[in-house]
Amino acid sequence: MESRSTAFGFLAVLTALACALVLAAVAASPAFAMETERWTAKSNQDSGNQIMGGTPTRVTWQGQSAEDESVATVSLALPEGTVVDAANVAVTVLDGLERLDFASAVTTDGAQVNVAFDEAAPAGAMIMIECNECVLPPSGGQFPVAGTYTVEGGAAQDIPDGGKTIDVVGTSAAEQMSKWLAAQPAVQAWNSVKFLHLFLDPTIAITSVPAVFQGWILAILMVIISFPLAIPLGLMWSFMRMAKNRVLCAIASCYINIIRGTPLFLQIYIAYFGLPQMGVNISGFWMGIIVLFLNSSAYLAEIFRAGIQSIPKGQFEASRSLGMSGAQTMIHVIIPQTVRRVIPTMTSEFILMYKDTSLLAAVGVYEIISNAKIITAATGNMTPYIVGALFYLVVTIPATRAINHMEKKLADGGRKRKKARAQAEAAGVIESAPVAMRAVAADGDADMTLSMRLSESFAVSPEGAAYGAEKKALRHKARRDSKDGKGDPRE
Amino acid sequence: MNKVSEKVDEISAQMAATSVKVSSARPAPQLDENVIVSIQSLQKSFGDTEVLRDVNIDVHRGEVVVVLGPSGSGKSTMLRCINLLEVPTGGHIYFEGKDITDKKTDINKLRTGIGMVFQSFNLFPHLSAKENVMLAQRKVLKRSKEEAEAIALEELRKVGLGDRADYMPSELSGGQQQRVAIARALAMRPHVMLFDEATSALDPELVRDVLGVMKDLAREGMTMIVVTHEMGFARDVADRVIFMDGGVVVEEGTPEAVFDHPQNERTKDFLGHIA
Repeated sequence: MESRSTAFGFLAVLTALACALVLAAVAASPAFAMETERWTAKSNQDSGNQIMGGTPTRVTWQGQSAEDESVATVSLALPEGTVVDAANVAVTVLDGLERLDFASAVTTDGAQVNVAFDEAAPAGAMIMIECNECVLPPSGGQFPVAGTYTVEGGAAQDIPDGGKTIDVVGTSAAEQMSKWLAAQPAVQAWNSVKFLHLFLDPTIAITSVPAVFQGWILAILMVIISFPLAIPLGLMWSFMRMAKNRVLCAIASCYINIIRGTPLFLQIYIAYFGLPQMGVNISGFWMGIIVLFLNSSAYLAEIFRAGIQSIPKGQFEASRSLGMSGAQTMIHVIIPQTVRRVIPTMTSEFILMYKDTSLLAAVGVYEIISNAKIITAATGNMTPYIVGALFYLVVTIPATRAINHMEKKLADGGRKRKKARAQAEAAGVIESAPVAMRAVAADGDADMTLSMRLSESFAVSPEGAAYGAEKKALRHKARRDSKDGKGDPRE
Repeated sequence: MNKVSEKVDEISAQMAATSVKVSSARPAPQLDENVIVSIQSLQKSFGDTEVLRDVNIDVHRGEVVVVLGPSGSGKSTMLRCINLLEVPTGGHIYFEGKDITDKKTDINKLRTGIGMVFQSFNLFPHLSAKENVMLAQRKVLKRSKEEAEAIALEELRKVGLGDRADYMPSELSGGQQQRVAIARALAMRPHVMLFDEATSALDPELVRDVLGVMKDLAREGMTMIVVTHEMGFARDVADRVIFMDGGVVVEEGTPEAVFDHPQNERTKDFLGHIA
C-alpha cells in the first residue's frame, strides 16, 4: 500500500511540472503578438479627473501589432453594459508616425465593437480605436482590456490586457436623473434665471438629496437617541434644583446655569477638542449625542421645574391633607398634571435640539449642513442648502403643528369622560338624566360639553331659568379661574 | 460662616425638640377623653407678621364649631395649623391626645383622621370624580381597588353625585366639585372635618347644596370645625360659635349667645356689618 501511494505522488509531481512548462510557453508567446499600448477613457467629471459611469465619454484603445502579424480584424469587448454607437467609432492605423489611409467597417454587437479592415493592416502597424460618446456602465468598476484580433487568414487570438484598466466611478440614479434634467429645455430655461439657478437648480437639487438625506438620518438618530435620555436627567436636575438640601440645589443650579448660560457651540468645541486630548476617544456621532444629551437636560430641567411650580399650591395641600406623603403627592398628583402642561414646551425643546445638530457641522459630523456644504463647495451653488432647509422643515413643521394641536386640546380642558359616554350610549338613555342629557346620549358627541353644563343647570335650578343659571355658572367659573390664578388666598 | 450658621440651626433645632418634649409630657393627662382637638396657646407668624397670637380652643367629639371673624383675623390659618398645612411657630395642638407639633408624630397618618375641605375645592383635575375619591384610599389606607371604588361611589351618592362618578372636575359645577371634595375627605373616614370657607367661592344657588351636605354631616354626629361667613348655617347648625379677631379668640358661646347677645365690641361691630 505504502509503496504504491509514493509512486502515485511522484507521478502527480511530474504531471504538475509538465503543465507548468506548457503554461509558461503559452504565456510567453504573446510577446511576439499584439500588444495593448493604451486603454483609457477621457475624464468626464465636472471637476476632478475621474471617469463617471453612465455619462458619455471617449474610450480609446491602441494596440501595437507584432512585426510578423498583419491584422485583419479587431474585436473589442467594452465593459458589460456599455452603450456605444458604431457611427461614433473612429479607427486609425499608424505606421511609425505616419497615418495610413485604411478603410474599415465598424459594427457593434451590444458592448462589443468589431472592426474589419478592408485589407489587412501592415505588419507592425499601430491600430487605434476611439469610441466617442461611449456611455460606460453607471454602476462603475475596474475594467481591463478584453477582445480578440485575427491575422489575415488566421484564427482569432486574444488581445493581451497588458495590465491596463479603466477605472469607472459609479453614478447614482440621482446623478443620471440630474444629467437627464440638465438636457431638458424647460430646465435650461429655468436655470437661465440667475436667482433660480443659484438657489433652486433642479439638477443640483436632485444630486443633493441622497447626500443630505444621509445627513438627515444621522441628525434624526442623534436626536432620537439623546432626547429620551435627556428627559430623566432633566427631571433629576429639576428635583435637585427644588430640593431643600442646599448642596443638591447648588449643584443643580450650577449645572443648569452654566449649560444654559453658554452657547452650545462652545460646549461642542470643548467636548470635541478637549476630550480627545484627555484620552477620551469617541466617534463624532456619539460625541454629538453626549453633548446634546447634557445640553438638553439643563433646558428640560427648567421646563420641568416651571411645570411643577405652575401647579397650584392647593393641589399639594389637598393631597397632603388626605395623608399622602410628599413622594406620593408628586407621583400621583403633581407629575401627571405637569406632564400635560410641559409636553408642548418639551416638543419645542425637541425642535430646538434637532436644529442644533447643525452646529456639529463645525466639528466634522456629517449631518445635513456638512453634506450640503460639500456639494456647494464643488458647484458653487446654494441649492444644496435649500434642500437641507427642506429636510429640517420636514420635521419641524409637523412638530410645531403637533404643539399647536396639543395646546388647543389643553385649552379645551384635556381628558373627557369616555367611559361615561360609552355607558350612556350603551344604555341608550340614562333614566335619571335630565332632558338635555338624553338629547346628548342620542346625538352622540356633538356639543357634549355644553349640553353637560345645561343638564347640570337643570339639576341645580329646578325652578327653571336654565339659561340664566348656565350663564351664571360660566361667569362664576371664569371668576374662580382668575382667583385660582392669583394663588391660594390666605385670609 | 456656613458651618457656623449650620451649627446654630442645629442647636436651635435641638432646643426646639427638647422644649416640645418637655411640654408634650405635661398636657396629655389633663385632656378630656371627649376633647378631640385641643389648641393651646397657638401662635403663628409669617415673617414679621403675627397672624395668631394666643389661640386656645377645645373641640369635643361630635361638636360643630363655627369660627367667625373678619378677614385677616387668622381663622383660616388656625384651621390650617390643625392638620399642619401651616407649621405653628408656638403653642401646641393635640389631635386625639397626640401632639401634632411633635416632630416624632407621623403627620401623614394623623392627617387621614382629619378631613379638610378648601375654599378652592382643589380637586385633582386629571382624575374623574370617582378617582379623586379613590386615590388617597388606595395610596394611604392601602384599600383594594374594589373596596375603594365601593366607598367612593357610596360617598358620592351621599353627597348627591352618584350619577357624576365618571365626570371630570372640569365638567362639574363649583357646587358639585365642592361636594366631590367633601366625599373625598369623608372616604378617609376622618374623625374631624375642617371646612375652610367651603362655600365662599360658590354662587348663592350652589351654596345651598354644599351647606345641605354639611348639615347632613353634622346631623350624623361628625365633629366639624367650620370657618365660614354663612351666618344662617352658624345659627342653625353650630353647637358653639367662636369669634376671632386680631389673632385671638374674642368671644365664644352658643349661637344664640353670640348672635343675639354679643358681649365684645368687635363682635357687635362685625355682626352689625353683616346684618
